[in-house]
This record gives sequence, structure tokens and C-alpha cells, in this order.
Amino acid sequence: MEVQSLTKSFGKHVAVNDLSFSIEEGHCVALLGANGAGKTTTLEMLASLQKPTKGSVSFLGVEKKDFREDIGYLPQYPVFFSWMNAMEYLVLMGELSGMSKAKAMARADELLELLGIADAKKRKIGGFSGGMKQRLGIAQALIHEPKLLMLDEPVSALDPVGRREILELMKLLKETTTILFSTHILHDAEEVCDDVIMIHKGELAVSGSLSELRRKHQEDVIVIAADENLDAWAGSIESWDVVSKVISANDKVEIYVKSVAEARTQLLAEINEKQLPITSFTVGQTSLEGLFMEVVGR
Amino acid sequence: MKKWFVLHRKEWLEMTLNYKIIWIPLIFVLFGLMQPITSYYMPEILKNASNLPEGSIIQIPMPTSGEVLTQTMGQFNQIGVLVLVLAFMGIVSSERRSGMIKAILVKPVSYPSYITSKWMSVVLLSAGSVFLGMLASWYYTVLLIGDFPFIDMVKGTLIYFIWILFIVTFTVFLSSFLKSSGFVAAFTLVLSILLSLLTSLFEKWMEWSPAQLTNAAASLFMAGDIEGPLLLPLITTVILTALFLYLATSRKSSV
Repeated sequence: MEVQSLTKSFGKHVAVNDLSFSIEEGHCVALLGANGAGKTTTLEMLASLQKPTKGSVSFLGVEKKDFREDIGYLPQYPVFFSWMNAMEYLVLMGELSGMSKAKAMARADELLELLGIADAKKRKIGGFSGGMKQRLGIAQALIHEPKLLMLDEPVSALDPVGRREILELMKLLKETTTILFSTHILHDAEEVCDDVIMIHKGELAVSGSLSELRRKHQEDVIVIAADENLDAWAGSIESWDVVSKVISANDKVEIYVKSVAEARTQLLAEINEKQLPITSFTVGQTSLEGLFMEVVGR
Repeated sequence: MKKWFVLHRKEWLEMTLNYKIIWIPLIFVLFGLMQPITSYYMPEILKNASNLPEGSIIQIPMPTSGEVLTQTMGQFNQIGVLVLVLAFMGIVSSERRSGMIKAILVKPVSYPSYITSKWMSVVLLSAGSVFLGMLASWYYTVLLIGDFPFIDMVKGTLIYFIWILFIVTFTVFLSSFLKSSGFVAAFTLVLSILLSLLTSLFEKWMEWSPAQLTNAAASLFMAGDIEGPLLLPLITTVILTALFLYLATSRKSSV
């Protein structure tokens, strides 16, 4: 899927501005951004629920206005006819996608099984829990075997258990479908996705595969904690060749280093020599959180 | 087309489950029955209800069958229209508010077929209610008051129904534009009252008015044939109905 300079404005307010990106088949892509960054607007435009003010979308090389046949969409707050049961609802949605009743029923059965709500298929949707509704929402998005599955904040409203289950489910689904999902939680994106697209105030901030972003933006970091204040010492090591940045706060020093091996030896030697009362010495990597904060916070 | 029927079926299922399919026709039938019965028993009722001095004579001329049917129509124009408007004011706007409209339109369903499937269910249910109501009224009128040709009743009801069609189409149209169901009902009722009022006040200039259809049906009931304008209001009403239906289906920009 190729998106070319997609723009949406509501009166004077520009929700999405000149957004271009592409999604490769079979990938799982996260659309990251703070609240109000334009994630939902973008997804709704792709799902033909809103008309873009400008820009075009092409899907598998074809440029059209309406890709609803090929897209399954889970809205941020999925709603259902509470007077229907799960099976009826899925069959209705299947039929609206142009499937025959028999085929829709078979597919609905299969999906309810896959999503783990098969035992609730004859229950009225009105009595479903949040997690079950989310699952049913995913089931209705998948009913017509779309080529692209779009999920708008699929885990944001769930409790930790529900969130874990949905993330596991997404890992399973990404084996067979291309997934585009929006979230404001970087951790979720890192867990299930191959690619991320970060947007800020409706504009594209960063996009690329996770591994590439890690390579570009991730740094090795050594965190040292001690019983006493290390500010003075932290200042003294800032000039070292292997050290790129030192952040010292309270009794903790974060040292961003260019080479872990070298820095570790030097630091350990230094600590030994100065008899610093350290309580922990951790070698690790920055998460993409920093990058995200940088993008969002600027 | 198949998807249209799926949507249409969903509407009927919903109307069955919230009993609209029962209580709307029931109200029409009830008011249809009441008119001839109260007309027939009015002298009795007055005699028993009022504490008139002994020996006073009440003379109320028995209305003709046509007059009773016209009065029934008058009831439908007030309570019937109110019931229909209140029942259907949220037909689109409530789904828009709940977000259900997105859940449906995210599937490859066209917006016009979404609207027209709803509109058709509204039209069929109101048609059924109006005809059942008039039928009930006609039956009791013939039983209690006097014979009235069935075919004239059907003709008059048909003409009258075009006016109802206009009102319910306007309801669907407003419902597809406004978020608040209350406004939908208020505007539709104001329109229907205003049109009826202006039509009776300025008859000369309002010959085109859809509300003239009620007058045409009334004259058919009372005099046996139509005096006054019929073709002109019929044409404007059909055009306006088509226009509102078109406008209702043509809005899609932000669901």
C-alpha cells in the first residue's frame, strides 16, 4: 500500500498534513503518535470512512478511492448492535461484505474459534466484556478475509491481561495478514511490529523498520548507581573518548558510550581505583522511547 | 442489491425487537377505531358525563361516514404524525451518534443503499400503519354510521399517504444530517404544522403545498370526488420527496 501526500483538514484545523508512507505486504506496521496526532483520521481515510482533502492511496499498485473490499477495520471504540448475538453480527457483517450466508457462517465459526470466543457465540453482545468486544471487533474486521487489517488502538482500553491476549493474537495474525495498527504506546509497537511510522501533529516524523531505527537511534548505555552522589565523578568522565553523553541524577549516572567493551573495562577499572561505593552496574541499550519522546515532544 | 436486502432485513429485525412493528400500527388502529365509535356514542357520552338539568335535550347531528373518515385523517395528522416522527427521528442520527454507522460503512456498502434501506423500512411501516388505521376506521364507520364505498376510502388514503410519505422522508433526511434526534423531531413537526397552517390560511397561494393532499383526500371523503387542486400538490410533493431522499443519500464526507 502506498500513501501519497494524504491531507485532511477540518476547516482551518489541519488534522493530517501531507502524509506519505508505504506498507509492504506481509508486514506488521505500527502507526505511532501522541493523542491527537492524527492516527485515527489517517486510518479512517484509508478505510474510506473520511474523504481525504488531498492526496491519494494506492493498494497493490491500483489507485482507487475505495478499498473497503480489501480492508478490515477495527475502530478505536468498536460498537455493535447489542441486541444481536455474536454469530448473527458476524454473519451480518459477512453478508454486507458480499459473502453468501452459508460462507459467512462458516467463516464466522472459524473466526470465533480462532479468537477464543466460540463459547459466547449465541450470547447477546450487550453482555460482552471489553476484551470480548475487542475480539469480536477483530473478528468482524477479518470476516471477509481482507488483505490488510487495520486496528485503531486495539489495546489501549484494555486491562493488562486483555492487552497481553490481544498482542499475542496480533502476533498470530501477522503470520497471515498485513497489519497496520495505531497506538500511542511504543512498547506495544516494539513487541509485535516490523515497521513503525511515527507521526506528530499530522505530519510524518520518522518511518522505517524497527531494526533500522534501532541501529540508527539506539545507543549503548551503562547505568551506574551508588550509595553516594556521583555528580562530580560524572563530570570528570565526560571528556573520555568512548563516552558520548553523561546524565547524572541523584545517585545514578547514565553513561552513553560508543563502544560497550572498551567503556566497560575503563569504567570498571576507574571504579576499582577510586573505590566508588556502587550498588549496581548495568549494561544495556536505550529503548526507542527516547526517540519517540524526541519526536513527540519537540 | 443483495447487500441492500441484508440491510433492509436488519432494519425489520430491529423494529421487531424494539416492538415498533407492533405499537406503531396499534396506535393508528386505535385512533382509527375511536373516531367512529366516539362519533356514534357522543350523545350518550354527553348525557352521562355532564350534569345537565333534568329534561334538557341534546341534539347532535350524526356525522356522515365521509365526515368521520375525514376526522380520522385529522387525528392521524396530529397524533399519527407525532408518533411516526418520534419513532423514526433517530433512525440515522442515533447510529451516527453511537458510531454504528462507521461499523457498517467500513464494509463495502454504499451510503445510498444504507440510507434507502432504512427509508424503505420507514415507508413500509408507516404505509402499513396508515392503511390499517383507515381500514379500522372505515369498518366501524360502515358498521355504526352508514355505508361508504371501500374504493373511495382506499383512494383517499392513498392520496393522504403521499403527504405522510413526504413527512417521513423529511424525517429520514434530517436524521441523516443532524446529530440530535430531538432537533429532527422538532424541525419535522414544525414543518408539518407550518405547512398545514399556511395552507389553510393562504389557500390561494399555497395550491402547490403538500398539505393540500390532506384537503384533497378530505373532499374525496366528504363529497365523493376531488374539488380543488390535486395534480399540482401531488407533483410538488413527489419532487420534494425525491429531492430530500436524494439529499439524504448524497452526504458522505465525514461519517
